[in-house]
Amino acid sequence: MAAAAPVSEYQLKAVFLFNFAQFVEWPASAFPQTSAPFVIGVLGKDPFGADLDDVVRGEAVNGHPLAVQRYQNVGEVRDCQILFIPAAEFGHVGELLARLKGRSVLTVTDADEGPQRGVMIGLITQDRQIRLRIDVEAAKVASLTISSKLLRPAEIVGTARS
Amino acid sequence: MSMARKFRPYFIEGRDRSRFKRSFHQFVPLLTSLSLAFCGARALADPNVADVPSTGDLKQLSLEDLMNVKVTSVSKQPQKLLQAPSAIQVITSDDIRRSGATTLPEALRLADNLEVAQINAHDWAISARGFDANLANKLLVLIDGRAVYTPLYGGVLWNVQDYLLEDIDRIEVISGPGGTLWGANAVNGVINIITKSAQQTQGLYATAAAGNQLQDFGGVRYGAQVAPDVYLRFYGKYFDEGDVITSAGANAADSWHMARGGFRMDAHQFGDNWLTLQGDVYDGGENYGVAGDSDLSGSNVLGRWTRTLSADSGFTLQAYYDHTYLAQPFAASPPAQFFRGFPAASLMDTLDTFDLDFQYHLGWGERQKIVWGFGYRETHEADEDLSVVRFAPPVLNQNLYSGFLQDEIAVASNVQFTIGSKLEHNDYTGFEVEPSARVQWNFDPKELLWAAVSRAVRTPSRYDHDLEVPSGLVDAPPPFQFPEDYLKGNSNFLSETLIAYEVGYRATLASRLSGSISAFYNAYDDLRSTTSTPTTATYVFPFPVFFQNNLEGDTYGIELSTSYQVLDWWRLHAGYDLLEEHIHVKPGEVDATGATNETADPQQQFALRSVMDLPRNVQFNAALRWVDELHINNGPTGGPAIGIVPSYFELDTRLAWHVTRQLELSLVGQNLLHEYHTEYGFPSPTREEIARSVFGRITWGY
Repeated sequence: MAAAAPVSEYQLKAVFLFNFAQFVEWPASAFPQTSAPFVIGVLGKDPFGADLDDVVRGEAVNGHPLAVQRYQNVGEVRDCQILFIPAAEFGHVGELLARLKGRSVLTVTDADEGPQRGVMIGLITQDRQIRLRIDVEAAKVASLTISSKLLRPAEIVGTARS
Repeated sequence: MSMARKFRPYFIEGRDRSRFKRSFHQFVPLLTSLSLAFCGARALADPNVADVPSTGDLKQLSLEDLMNVKVTSVSKQPQKLLQAPSAIQVITSDDIRRSGATTLPEALRLADNLEVAQINAHDWAISARGFDANLANKLLVLIDGRAVYTPLYGGVLWNVQDYLLEDIDRIEVISGPGGTLWGANAVNGVINIITKSAQQTQGLYATAAAGNQLQDFGGVRYGAQVAPDVYLRFYGKYFDEGDVITSAGANAADSWHMARGGFRMDAHQFGDNWLTLQGDVYDGGENYGVAGDSDLSGSNVLGRWTRTLSADSGFTLQAYYDHTYLAQPFAASPPAQFFRGFPAASLMDTLDTFDLDFQYHLGWGERQKIVWGFGYRETHEADEDLSVVRFAPPVLNQNLYSGFLQDEIAVASNVQFTIGSKLEHNDYTGFEVEPSARVQWNFDPKELLWAAVSRAVRTPSRYDHDLEVPSGLVDAPPPFQFPEDYLKGNSNFLSETLIAYEVGYRATLASRLSGSISAFYNAYDDLRSTTSTPTTATYVFPFPVFFQNNLEGDTYGIELSTSYQVLDWWRLHAGYDLLEEHIHVKPGEVDATGATNETADPQQQFALRSVMDLPRNVQFNAALRWVDELHINNGPTGGPAIGIVPSYFELDTRLAWHVTRQLELSLVGQNLLHEYHTEYGFPSPTREEIARSVFGRITWGY
């Protein structure tokens, strides 16, 4: 029977990343040129398969076409606007954040630890649903402005709270 | 990675999980027609409405709606398990709630890698990888970093270890040695019971239950924010369990009750500092038939300061004080010829423990993570000097000093090597060293292979070292000499040692299937034996028998655990353990029990659990377990005779209905297949049988 409607976990997470592109404001300095693509980076082994590519296909944000880039390791990370750190890669987060310091990159992870050590958004699976945890302060430090539409359903963590 | 954090052992607790519960409640489920279709319960009610939503459909949803979409999550296990190079299993708070368990030992039945045998209404034998005796002594148990084993016999008094189960965040059960981080007694396994932070347990929660065995049960918790970033909770719990019966059919007269309460405060207002202060008190008693009642009480207070220094460094400082008191009654033994008799008495044991631990972790270059720490523990134990049993000396102060160092080295991006050791000094045996080496290979993000070699020790307990059980024999007719004691500890008792070799594989095999398998080979030396005293023409008794370290041998086995998400609303779980034990007396030595005293273990056991979310906010849980027969010895002075505890099937179920968001009604059945069944004990008319238990429960809050 067709009982189960399997939304795969990473299909759903890919859609969340797509939404973040809409609900976060990047400074103009985050893009090398006005026509540069809006890059969603994925660190390490990519858990999305084709899902993330499907989500961004044909989409643009403020004139920046969306694109996906995959980085095998921290050393490969280049200009991107969102960087997804899969749970399995969370061990490298210290090294990664040191590298991203001073750059306007929205860092997102689905590690159970959630946003900490400066990672901004956690996508946490609980009761088979995705929960959002956001460290507003960490985003501010990177000159990112998160829309209240995104904050409202989220759990706010970190040192500063609205 | 796995063994890196002692106090927050595996998954980072506290800070980030903590606000979850409240924000969860802020969601009023916005059930659009589309998200309804994804919802498992709805799908069950009307299988035809469910369509696989396309990515395009999902992109049209609001954020709130997206958060209502159910995913086909494989397992509730935190993904970090895929980085855990040990045979770890995690019991989540959801698992506990759905199981219907009301006490800790019942909740531990959810770990496939544990043996849990209920001895009578109030006692359990719990172990991993064998050696599950009623005085099982090879497992270390910590509740929020506080070691709860008793130095009296090196085991855990499960009748006094409990908590309001709803406030437990998770129970991590590691089978296999953990001595490198946790020290002596983490020989066959480690259980870490981790409670939720005060912030996660805000508001009022109340629960009550009543049934045939669980006669009264009640629990209440209240949590509040007391200052910005400072949260506090108080809890209380009481239960009263009825008698079981003996194999002769008589009332076993072992009903018991326990009341406990406590608090936890969490504060994190100072940036990178996290402060926890918590404490518990308990008081209860057990019926011991004609001997009278036992008296059990205790209290503890623990403080912990965790500070994050940088992205990859920080420290934890923890101190606790723990006081326990137990008075166990002994019935009078009337005098007889050559026997002076014993008056009714009560063995009173008072234990005060002060413990201090410090742990520091730091990144070292690009590839290494170092964890080091040290600890100090002081115990003061006083045992009443009785004619029927005593410990010499009756009052004993002991000091334990320890230090450890561990290095995790990333030898490649997905291969990690961890090496470390503990060094500790105890008053009985001096220095002990517990090194280990582990390697993990995440050859795929969803698959992990690991292997480990470890050494662990069980240091002597007062039972091994200081015990004296008088014979009570007097007035020997000449020329015979009668022994003063018939069982004695040994002041030269050594530490028991283990070298363990383990391999394991853990994987998310498909989007709906996950599992783990581990295999081990354990080589033991200097295990406890009992030796009888040689008889002579004038000394005709083989007493006292006394403890020595004359056993050695090996055990091996496998542990299998797997979860399968059959449908969105239905998950199946299966676990299986196989254990072979070959313990023997060292060449040229003897053991009064023929090396059988500690190994009343099932060769095989399996568990099958079904977890269902049904329509109309109904949940149904069923847990079937099968435990192989036990070959059990009658204790150190009972000789080598072996009795059988028959294999058994048992079934636990829980049916729960969430009437409203706050109110839940449930009906729980435990051990439903038999009115009475035996899980442990040498065959005798007084061996106790465990009763079928059915109770109804109402819960408000959450």
